[in-house]
Amino acid sequence: MAEPAKLQLLTHKPGETGFQLHEIHSSQAYLGYRPQRVAQESWAITAQPKSPDGRHNYVLKNLQYNRYLLIDEKELFLWEFFDGSHSLEEIARSFHHRFGAFDYSVIRQLLPKLHQAGLLVERENLALKQILVRSQTSFWATGFSSMAKCWRGLSFTVPDADQHCAAIYRYGGFVLFHRITLCLTIFLAILAGITALRLSPQAKQFTQLLSATPWRSGAIMLAVLLAASMLHVLIHALACKSYKRRVREIGFFLLQGVLPTFYADVTDIFMSTRRARVVVDLAGPMVEVALGSVAFLAAYQFGSGVGQAVLFGIGVLLWESALINLYPFNFLEMDGYNIVADLLAMPTLRQQALALMPNLPRRLLRMKSIQRAEWIQIGYLLLCFVSVLVYVIAHLDAVRALFPRWN
Amino acid sequence: MPPRADILTKVVLFQDLEAHAMATLAPLFIAKKFTAGTVIFREMDDSDALYIVEHGTVIVSKHVSGDVDMVLTRFQRGDFFGEMGLFDNAPRSATANVETDSLLWRLDRAVFHDIFSHHPEIAAKICYRLVTIFIERLRATNEQTRDAIRWGLEATGYASGSHSLFGRKSI
Repeated sequence: MAEPAKLQLLTHKPGETGFQLHEIHSSQAYLGYRPQRVAQESWAITAQPKSPDGRHNYVLKNLQYNRYLLIDEKELFLWEFFDGSHSLEEIARSFHHRFGAFDYSVIRQLLPKLHQAGLLVERENLALKQILVRSQTSFWATGFSSMAKCWRGLSFTVPDADQHCAAIYRYGGFVLFHRITLCLTIFLAILAGITALRLSPQAKQFTQLLSATPWRSGAIMLAVLLAASMLHVLIHALACKSYKRRVREIGFFLLQGVLPTFYADVTDIFMSTRRARVVVDLAGPMVEVALGSVAFLAAYQFGSGVGQAVLFGIGVLLWESALINLYPFNFLEMDGYNIVADLLAMPTLRQQALALMPNLPRRLLRMKSIQRAEWIQIGYLLLCFVSVLVYVIAHLDAVRALFPRWN
Repeated sequence: MPPRADILTKVVLFQDLEAHAMATLAPLFIAKKFTAGTVIFREMDDSDALYIVEHGTVIVSKHVSGDVDMVLTRFQRGDFFGEMGLFDNAPRSATANVETDSLLWRLDRAVFHDIFSHHPEIAAKICYRLVTIFIERLRATNEQTRDAIRWGLEATGYASGSHSLFGRKSI
């Protein structure tokens, strides 16, 4: 590791000849650094429900840039001291007094997070930082990063998403969040369920009809799925508006850098209650449930043929999509996962579980020292592995049925 | 009294000059003694001369704020400074502070330009050497800029890597 950078300064005393030289190491300046948070009206903090290991978490929001940070109790303690009048050395002393120990890495990790969220008064110089980082990367790394940049370039966001969503909500969107709408959706789903059961004996026939025209049927189903996926995201955003929270973004991105996905950034819902978060999570899959129900009912009314098979297929796909969305254990942060994370008060459950994975064998050997939160993370990992495996195996048969030539 | 030949031969600027050229140049320098703590020239003063250090140390600093200057470099025996303004006529870009009692040799701007007019072969050799010195100093400045930025990043805890912000994207 490189030595701390040092700066030589020269100072003059007014009215005196001569000067004094001072050599200041960055580490020394760091201890004397007095972080100052942005003005009170530029940020807000909301306490989150207590996590299973008894820890309190908070969401700290930059109201100006709409950036969010999840901080724990210790970080909150530090944040309260970042008023520009306490040096890091003084803060460290107070921290030690309060918690009985101090590790500078707590501050070292918190400061860049606050910088990045624009919550400290210092000027951000991200561009400069990126240039410094870029200058150290190799030819191959640069090549890969350019390729990744091109691929990421496919992503887009809808400008002024919050305003659009507010308008849609105001001019009729609010109806979707009325109890009557929920009751109607449930009624429709029950009816569709009965219909689907009645149609299910013909499932094999539907599959044969679909495999006779795989491309056309596939294209129609894909288009419907795409439309449903967009609507799904819009409903999440409208649900967020129903709690008078801001929709930070609506857009399209590559999930895990690969899977094309629409999304609505509803982080602002963390400034509201847990119930609100669960409602926002549930609202999206209701689109697939409702549209899938309509497809099943339409298939029931439709005369037998390819049309009926396509409608039945769409119904199955949409309901399956809703199920996948609501199923929490698939390694993705989908709606079901969000609900579980909210109910467990572990908003970063997936990240924590993935971070635990490399140390898992070592932790399992010392089973007694595993804490409650870690058991939950282990359980999450286990269920994810099993679920993905079962899903893959179950779908191998379906794929074979669709493409008989593969058998 | 002109500077001793061994002093001038140690100055990189005159490294390519032959003995007779040195003999021409030497009488043009004027000796100047400075005590520690004094200022030779200040930032924004007229650039009227170039200096060669025979002994002592000179700190060149740039004003940052209030009574604080940032130390740019330190010159010792055989080094020269103050040449920039002789070419572009701009005011001094930094302050030269005497750190320890020093004996400097001063070459005035008018004399310097006189050499260029009357001794083109000496001027050509000095210019060639100057270019290489400027390149070296430019490299040093780049390093210094990087160090200053690194210092700022480290001192404010900003250099500890990137961290992702908290967020929920409903998909």
